[in-house]
Amino acid sequence: MLLPEYYEFCCRVQLVAGHKALERIPALLADLGAKKPLIITDKGVAGAGLITIVTEAIKSGVTIGAIADNVPPDSDLKVVNELAGMYKQKECDSLIAVGGGSVMDTAKGVNIIVSENATDLMKFSGAGALKRVLKPLIAVPTTAGTGSEVTLVAVIKDHEKHIKMAFTSYFLLPNVSILDSRMTMTMPPFITSMTGMDALTHAVEAYYCLQKNPLSDSHAYAAIELISKNLLTAVKNPTDKDSRLAMAVGATLAGIAFSNSMVGMVHNLGHSTGSVCGVPHGICMSILLPYGLEYNMHKSEKFIAELLLPLAGPDVYSKTPGAKRAEKVVELIRKMNDDLYVATDKRHARCLKEVMDRDGKQMVPKEKLIEIAKAALSDPASAYNPEEADYDDNVMVLEAAWEGKPLDRTKIKKG
Amino acid sequence: MIFSDSFEFTCPIKTNSGKKALEQLPAELDALNAKKPLVITGKELVSKCVIKKFTKAFSDSGMTIGIFDGVPENPDWKLIDELKKAYSEKKYDSIIALGSGVIVEVAKVLNIAVSLNVDSRKIAKDPAVKRPLNPLVVVPTAAGSGLETSRFAHFQGTVFSSFYLMPALIILDPRMTRAESKEEMATAALAAFARSVEAYIAKSKNPLADAYAYAAIGFVAGNLATAVEKPCNKKSALAIANAVAMSGTAMSNTTAGLISNLGQVLVEMFQFPYGIGMGICLPHILAYYQKKGGYNIAQLLLPLSGPDLYAATPDSSKTDRALTIVGGMLRELYETVENKMPKTLKAAGVPQYMLADILEKLSLADDAAFDKEGYLTVIESAWEGKPVA
Amino acid sequence: MSDLVKEVTAGGKPLKKAYVAIMLWFMGRAVQAAAKSDKEVKKEFEALPDDFTFALGVLPNGPWMVVGKEEGKVKYLGWNPDIKKLHLRLDVKGIESAILMFTFQESTTIAFMHNRVIANGELPYAMAFMRILDIVETYLLPKFIAKLAVKRYPTQWSFGRKYGGRVCVYTRALLGF
Repeated sequence: MLLPEYYEFCCRVQLVAGHKALERIPALLADLGAKKPLIITDKGVAGAGLITIVTEAIKSGVTIGAIADNVPPDSDLKVVNELAGMYKQKECDSLIAVGGGSVMDTAKGVNIIVSENATDLMKFSGAGALKRVLKPLIAVPTTAGTGSEVTLVAVIKDHEKHIKMAFTSYFLLPNVSILDSRMTMTMPPFITSMTGMDALTHAVEAYYCLQKNPLSDSHAYAAIELISKNLLTAVKNPTDKDSRLAMAVGATLAGIAFSNSMVGMVHNLGHSTGSVCGVPHGICMSILLPYGLEYNMHKSEKFIAELLLPLAGPDVYSKTPGAKRAEKVVELIRKMNDDLYVATDKRHARCLKEVMDRDGKQMVPKEKLIEIAKAALSDPASAYNPEEADYDDNVMVLEAAWEGKPLDRTKIKKG
Repeated sequence: MIFSDSFEFTCPIKTNSGKKALEQLPAELDALNAKKPLVITGKELVSKCVIKKFTKAFSDSGMTIGIFDGVPENPDWKLIDELKKAYSEKKYDSIIALGSGVIVEVAKVLNIAVSLNVDSRKIAKDPAVKRPLNPLVVVPTAAGSGLETSRFAHFQGTVFSSFYLMPALIILDPRMTRAESKEEMATAALAAFARSVEAYIAKSKNPLADAYAYAAIGFVAGNLATAVEKPCNKKSALAIANAVAMSGTAMSNTTAGLISNLGQVLVEMFQFPYGIGMGICLPHILAYYQKKGGYNIAQLLLPLSGPDLYAATPDSSKTDRALTIVGGMLRELYETVENKMPKTLKAAGVPQYMLADILEKLSLADDAAFDKEGYLTVIESAWEGKPVA
Repeated sequence: MSDLVKEVTAGGKPLKKAYVAIMLWFMGRAVQAAAKSDKEVKKEFEALPDDFTFALGVLPNGPWMVVGKEEGKVKYLGWNPDIKKLHLRLDVKGIESAILMFTFQESTTIAFMHNRVIANGELPYAMAFMRILDIVETYLLPKFIAKLAVKRYPTQWSFGRKYGGRVCVYTRALLGF
């Protein structure tokens, strides 16, 4: 177990997991002194029937203040203000967020406004602006996943002023996160594979990037084992509740790991690919993960090699010579992408040039790579990458990821 | 990795560990909205230079802190009431426990008193804590019981159990966590190890508790020998302190089993530290579990030996190998302390006629797996020091 | 009842504070100098808003260094962080953490990693600042120290850039032009 010279670790979110975890919500709210929640979600989640499952599970124990299902795919300040108004009007005393990253961020934004009686959310942006406990917030993630139910960050966009507000505070964390297998059961194969690889990337980057620490390591390690054992099953047999629960738990473990250990190049380039070309986050992660590993191999080989055990099991680990284990990890992740490509009827892209939108149009034209490389320089995720990456380095990695060819490691500038 | 169909996990603790961790305290207190902390410590239990170093960490912070350094080995309710009065009079808003063991017990119970504004009589009568308390920070020193970070507090015969008792922050600073003696280090390490093992091998697996237990076991396995041999070695002492802190979280989120329950009974009946009793009984309990089956002892091999040996060991041999390693660790430990620590309950001063009483007390614990005959065999084995196969 | 609890008001660390103050003063002036002599630093500042101002200092009450753009020029603006609206404010959590950074026991990256610094402001600004600081430190410090301070020591810099630039930055920083 590696003990860094200094580290910090915190996960104050209470976790409740199971096939009937939702039914615990009334008692959990009561413990927090609340009984009239505002349920925040989006149309996709509501349309999949998940809100009905939630309300059925909790209605005998609480009074549902209101259900708001108009959260857009990108968290929006206007919606945040609207929902805060609804909360006050219906005299709610708590929040339940049912959905993915955008719903979680919206709920966190609403919580700031209603708890601080704020008129201008901007005043609370940055780190350290919040000083006290907010209203009770229960997170019910419906993907496995972004891990945003355990992160202390919320990002809200002001589409009118074209600014992105970031809020960082321990007080933003939900009080409880409910991991119920029913909530991810309706995820179609393509979304399952994408969000699953997002979770895997969180865990892997948390394990080999600069801020790694003993607790983030043990969480990441457990996450990788759960995800590698269950992702393909969850994609091929969507109604298998055990693999759904395992994925939900794995994604949360990965979320806890990366929010305490930060991420690196894969997220750096991935965020930028998402913002420049609109590619969904999970797809960026799955494509770029093997490249992030290759780029950092000269600095982090030892740690990457250790991941072979949770990824592939003791048999493969013991049969692979020590010096080859890190490369094997990369190979296996590429294989996971290949398997998912097949299992999702070719919707899970394996390289950037393969990413298509719903109309079959290419989402990442080669000319856009230089724009992505430039945008990546402003993204803080590069700070914790083991190796420095400047514009030229980014271009090199993106070009390889576009073609789907392994990175030429001889060309990496080593610091 | 298998895990149970349903589980829950709570850990409100922020962990800051390493170089200059202490000097981050003023900024951390500010983040907790705590402006005037009351420091609880004991000059008989914690060295003067530790207290001095601690106070120095507040230099340039502009803060005023209160220091009470009179925690005795056996504090009473009167002390809690007196401290409550001082806390309210001088308007403190948070508590920092500087030290381990009984110092943290006092801090936790005081925190109940001041946060819920109740006096000791009421607390003793109704120990339930159902609301969040004021911020509590723990800065442990080496002589940990392993309960510092847990949801438990034991005070004057009353047992408190609430997640609200867990500290908001734990500061593990290498200047604070070195031990005075080999025995002190060994005792703390054993308590951490035994609790973490219990959490990790439990039938009902909780992957979050496991993450803490895994790290704790890894730290003990990798550092026990050095830490006990050289208790003033900063690095290994810090590793053990980390393990102690993590074990408290792990055990707070798993159901207590024979290891914890027996450890608790021995402390209550014979007043020797947790680590002594748990260290003596651990190998015997593990042998009993191996025979009984259903416990995940094979998995223990991974944090104990590392991935290479784990992967190379056939499944059928993993449990045996794990137990061999545990046995080896304990043997080396007792040799290093030159047998100044008892290896058997007999050597620890437990009279043979009281073994039945121990079993009797054990039967009162909430243990669904209570097995009268099996448990008695374990106790007798631990008393005699029967070699574990 | 005798006084059970002893109240202690924190003292100061004047020597350490003075050292950090000097380092911050010099660093602020060096950033001003590098913005004139180094084309990469110039480019970084060009990409930032016209009135961009940032402050780096120690909680709870200083010392500070403030640098900002005024009329297209990058200037060292002194030690008062309240002088202007800040786009970026980096608060080091206490004098001891500042000592770790300014005696290069911990590089800028490591200090951030160890959560020794709170960044207030938009993260792209913080990234730009770290890149600028890395370049400035490469100029100011001999290689064996700079390697500890920066993430990847730029081995590809020409002799002229490194040594010529170093003379330039030092001169400008000391003389303040």
